[in-house]
Amino acid sequence: MPGKRTLDYAAYAAFIGLILCAPLVLEEFWLNRIAKFLVYGLLGVAIALSWGYAGILNLGQGLFFGLGAYMMAMSLKLASPTSLQQGSATPVPDFMLWNAEPGAKTDLCCINHGSFLWTPFQNPWFGIAMGVLVPVLVATLIGWVMFRKRISGVFVSIIMLALVLLVRLVVIDAQPVTNGFNGLTDLGNLVVFGVELDPYEVVTYYVVAGALALALIATRMLVETRAGLILQAIRDDQNRARYLGFDVPLYQVFFFAVSAAIAGVAGMLYVVVAQFASPTFMDLSFSITMVVWAAVGGRASLLGACIGAIGINIIEARASETQALVQAWRAVIGLIFVLVVLYLPRGVAGFASDAADAVLSRLGRKRPPAAQSAEERVAS
Amino acid sequence: MAEVVFIGLSLASVLLLVALGLAITYGAMGVINMAHGEMVMLGAYTTVLTRIYLHLDLLAAIPLAFIVTALVGYAIERVVVRRLYGRLLDTLLATWGVAILIQQAVRLELGASFFGLHIAGLGPGLQNVAVPPELTGALTLGGVQVNAFRAFIIVVTLLLALVTWLLMYRTSIGIQVRAIMRNPRMAAACGIDVDRVNALTFAYGSGLAGIAGVMVSGFKTVFPDMGTPMVVDAFLVVVVGGVGSLVGSIFSAGLLGQLNGITAFLSNDIIARAVVFAFVIAVIMTRPRGLFAQRTR
Repeated sequence: MPGKRTLDYAAYAAFIGLILCAPLVLEEFWLNRIAKFLVYGLLGVAIALSWGYAGILNLGQGLFFGLGAYMMAMSLKLASPTSLQQGSATPVPDFMLWNAEPGAKTDLCCINHGSFLWTPFQNPWFGIAMGVLVPVLVATLIGWVMFRKRISGVFVSIIMLALVLLVRLVVIDAQPVTNGFNGLTDLGNLVVFGVELDPYEVVTYYVVAGALALALIATRMLVETRAGLILQAIRDDQNRARYLGFDVPLYQVFFFAVSAAIAGVAGMLYVVVAQFASPTFMDLSFSITMVVWAAVGGRASLLGACIGAIGINIIEARASETQALVQAWRAVIGLIFVLVVLYLPRGVAGFASDAADAVLSRLGRKRPPAAQSAEERVAS
Repeated sequence: MAEVVFIGLSLASVLLLVALGLAITYGAMGVINMAHGEMVMLGAYTTVLTRIYLHLDLLAAIPLAFIVTALVGYAIERVVVRRLYGRLLDTLLATWGVAILIQQAVRLELGASFFGLHIAGLGPGLQNVAVPPELTGALTLGGVQVNAFRAFIIVVTLLLALVTWLLMYRTSIGIQVRAIMRNPRMAAACGIDVDRVNALTFAYGSGLAGIAGVMVSGFKTVFPDMGTPMVVDAFLVVVVGGVGSLVGSIFSAGLLGQLNGITAFLSNDIIARAVVFAFVIAVIMTRPRGLFAQRTR
């Protein structure tokens, strides 16, 4: 007689098996697309962790995604052939050269006032490390201030929303260093351990799929630890947890930072797969779109939110192959979203979970009454 | 310097114009209406359609836009929002979905584009609205050259703020609204028809956004996505001013407008907006309930 938890684990195993086997049946073009959607799935996990388990609706998750993306893109920009062929000792991004003042030395150190910031990014490992560290640092700092001050609920959402828009404007304004509105394009491929991650190669897909599988398993294990349980207690009643003697902000900051780290990794992988970074990653609509995916999939389920993100994007990609459906699809998404919030607040995962409960209880009823009552006693 | 102050004042008036409706729906009803920006957009499109089909100018569009958006707002409250009272973040998410629906309705010309039909004035393209000749040009006020239309917006904003204040504090429906703000269940127990008052309040807030749309269409390009940045700004004005406080919203719109204007004068528009966001974050961090906090439900 399988229990609820066994079913749950089976769903995780089935999903991970599915994404790892996908290259067997998919051609390169779709493989690249699906890899992109798996990155979105990673974002779904990040949202579900902070929203479903910590009760923090972050309307600025795009901030961490964007920071991760830019850190990676800076390294890859320096690795691109155009940057390497500027005839200087160090690679220099082409946009810096276009906007350089006459007489400026063509070198990363001093072509403009901010270009020295790029110097360490010549080593891709520095870019990778920063892609996680910067989002985590930002999340820890802002989280520390917010949660120490017991700011919660909608105010956290507003602060994060204002913050992502603020950083977006700063990135756009710092044109000499970030290429402003245009973002970073024409990137090289990431090379790690001698393996080149060409976005249309199977190996890149496996890196993304592996990262998603790892994130799913790790976050699932994390929320089942003692810390994860305390976090859920805080979500349900912050004051009670506080009176029980738990250091509430500590747990909130920790999980906020984990969520930021996942989003940062997602940003990095997105750059590897899509080969650009742009300030649009920090648009308000993108941050809210992520929340939509998670809400449709199931805000309280890591796997549900992940599948929601991937599923919506696959349908969207299919729909946009027909010109007339592109705009209609957006309307459908709006409608689905309203309906989910109104009638399925726990998303598709919540619906599946209820269905599983119903099936399990029906199965349970067929067994002899003695066995059933024994199990119920244990359960209660 | 007087020019800079006037620019700030003009920015503030637009902020307040959009925020006024939100101050009512969010402040009084506890609903974060992300479709508020789309009400502004609908108001702007009403101006466009009024010119094309009725050959009337911007001034005539003001009452029409109020009626159109108030009706749409009423419908949204009846169908979506009323099921979500007390679930603040869910109202935000559901109305975001509504916002997308309204945007797409305009972009798809209410579905007509599927049948190859085209409704002039709608669709994904950009629209422009001409300002009536009597409002173009510049006035000279106290030795300062002032854009006439900007001055007109300031006057309209002040009038609307005054009307809203009178409605809220000098009429019986205003008393009912404020009673619901404080405690909806107690208000219901005292015989107030909470459902009806909520629907009317929401419709009024949406109608104000419609008027804001008419004003905005006079100096901005009209297109289906135009509302999204506005709702964010308006929302920040309300939060900084203090939820439920009309005076707070007026004050904070003035503050943010001047901050924006002065910083833009000293550096550039992008930095000015960034500074406004930073200021808002600082205010929420230190005073989450806003500058003019009021005890509400």
